[in-house]
Amino acid sequence: MRGLVAVMLIASTAAAQTAPSRDTSMANMPGMAGMPGMAMMPIPMPPGMVVMPGLVGLSPAVAKTFLPSGSPEASATPRTVVRLKDGDTLDLAAILVSETIGARATTAYAYNAQIAGPLIRVPQNATVMVRFTNKIDLPTAVHWHGVRLENASDGAPGLTQEPVATGKGYLYRLHFPDAGIYWYHSHVREDIQQPLGLYGNIIVDSPDPHYYEPANHEEVLMLGDILVNHDTLIPFGAEQPDFTLMGRVGNMIRVNAEPTYALDVPQGAVVRFYLTNVASSRTFNVSFGDAPIKVVASDESRFEHEELVPSVVLGPAERYVVDVRFPHPGRYAFVNAVQAINHFQGEFMPEVDTLGVVTVGATPAKPDYAARFAVLHTNDSVVRDIARYRSAFTHPPDHTLHLTLKTSGLPLATVQFMSIDTAYFAPVEWVDGMPDMNWLSTAAQVRWIIRDEASGKDNMDIDWHAPVGSTPVVRIINDDRSFHPMQHPIHLHGQRMLVIARDGVPTKNLVWKDTVIIPVGSAVDLLVDASNPGAWMLHCHISEHLESGMMTVMHVDPK
Amino acid sequence: MRLWAALLVVAVIGPWDMKLFPGTVAPGASGQARLVYASSPFGVAVTADGHARYDIQITATGLPAPSTIGSYTAYVAWQASPDLSHWTRLGTVTNGKTTVGAVDLNKFLFVITAESSPTPATHHGPTVLHGTSPSGWLQSFLTHPLFRGTPQ
Repeated sequence: MRGLVAVMLIASTAAAQTAPSRDTSMANMPGMAGMPGMAMMPIPMPPGMVVMPGLVGLSPAVAKTFLPSGSPEASATPRTVVRLKDGDTLDLAAILVSETIGARATTAYAYNAQIAGPLIRVPQNATVMVRFTNKIDLPTAVHWHGVRLENASDGAPGLTQEPVATGKGYLYRLHFPDAGIYWYHSHVREDIQQPLGLYGNIIVDSPDPHYYEPANHEEVLMLGDILVNHDTLIPFGAEQPDFTLMGRVGNMIRVNAEPTYALDVPQGAVVRFYLTNVASSRTFNVSFGDAPIKVVASDESRFEHEELVPSVVLGPAERYVVDVRFPHPGRYAFVNAVQAINHFQGEFMPEVDTLGVVTVGATPAKPDYAARFAVLHTNDSVVRDIARYRSAFTHPPDHTLHLTLKTSGLPLATVQFMSIDTAYFAPVEWVDGMPDMNWLSTAAQVRWIIRDEASGKDNMDIDWHAPVGSTPVVRIINDDRSFHPMQHPIHLHGQRMLVIARDGVPTKNLVWKDTVIIPVGSAVDLLVDASNPGAWMLHCHISEHLESGMMTVMHVDPK
Repeated sequence: MRLWAALLVVAVIGPWDMKLFPGTVAPGASGQARLVYASSPFGVAVTADGHARYDIQITATGLPAPSTIGSYTAYVAWQASPDLSHWTRLGTVTNGKTTVGAVDLNKFLFVITAESSPTPATHHGPTVLHGTSPSGWLQSFLTHPLFRGTPQ
């Protein structure tokens, strides 16, 4: 019997290795000289886990590894707030900085020497210019995530602009038609540049002073992670990313790039948190002890109806605005709590990371917003806006996309294990339960795929057009029978969309989104408001999946 | 027609299906159940400690009238922990399609019993259908040669 299993495993290995791999080589790009001769640092394994015997001593099949090189121009500093008004110009530079991780000085990236980057605050409907300069050792570009702006300023290299070479610049013209929380980040080798510091938030303020209910205090938090061995960064693949099976999941969670977060508030305070997930792969589930959380808004708008929630789930690149009331004096732990799976023991196990502490004093908050907080409001303007699209909700999908992958040349032990660990796939993988296998997978071996059901075409070969003003319904199905099913946070540039149904169940409380989690085995129906002409990327926001091909383009054609 | 075809695609995909097996008092009963995320503003519904929250869509056939198998008036769905120490009532079930929920255990047994009330505090009656959560299929590989480093 064991012999039969072995034969089946070998057969499945052969089958898995027949797929072509995609060339994502960037070895010739400036700054990609890498670190030849550097011994591969073993990656840290979760407590209680060891590297699988068949993988011991292996390292990713990358010719060179990469960490930023060159002299830091400055020390990284905390974020500052930059308030812009209509017609203003902001100078923004990506530079090399020295950042202390643990006790070690590390070379990282930053916008204007700040990690997170400057918090840009602008009024709704403002138009501003950003004079961007690239002073890091890689080509880069700035994507203004979620902003429905002009196509030429979207920051999608190869589609809307060429990558900005070291020493060069680009002028972005940003128009902000929608109030809310947005962010900007690198869109070249995000797997490297984003965790190393190239990200920042944008708050677009509504002219309506009552757009949100009142709060005593506001906090703008960017949740991310980095992967370190003690206080040393795990190098990146130079010519192509590693960790391509499930993305690089860091083992040091950071809030605004700091390993700990602290906030002091008076008793009964209502705090508005603007939350953004800037991690490459990790999905968060955060809460504040037993403090009640009211979800107010997400990527592109407020919700139709405010809701009380036990916690806030954020896939990579998603944003949520939540109001939290801290009713009693004391300490409230800000935690990320998930149920991980130990694939070797076949068991779930709780995993809790404390991201920080909110300390509540004995002095009552003034004003006291307890009564206002207790009311769950309906946002009539959002309801009316969405009502204009409801007639399209019952339309059959105009496009059906399948999310899957092909692999070739992965280590034998990886293929063997993953070929037998198929009895159950969690809809969401909250942690990296197989960091050894994940680390060893590169973009040369893993090709993540968005496949158009109608044409059979994949990724950038899909020819997808929609006239401006149309409202196509897109069904995205996450293949649960692929070699490695996992959730994908799918992001559409430059437009807004509604999740109108999940697995055939209509959504009860709608909100405009630009990034949506597609769990394993799920079919998610999106209504796209194709309002903004141009060529817009649709891609997985797990950085390593994007770099492994998981992207396509939606052309919104002018009338 | 296109709409029905589209719905069919949804109906046949997904790893979250449970086959329901009959109990001895209702040998002609059969059914399928499917987990779908409970309503949540995040799409992915979880508790604060990270347990997934699912509603269960049940399609049952062959259930006899409850009164024909004893002094019962309703079929009631339950979530039970694998060691049967904790039970949670989910709702009533009839032949055809029913949705009950929400379950929030990592692994659970799904049990439908005949009861004298549609809202019993605890389960008393016989089991007419039961299944296991898909997560119950998770396997331990600790003893596999792959992980012992022994020749294969």
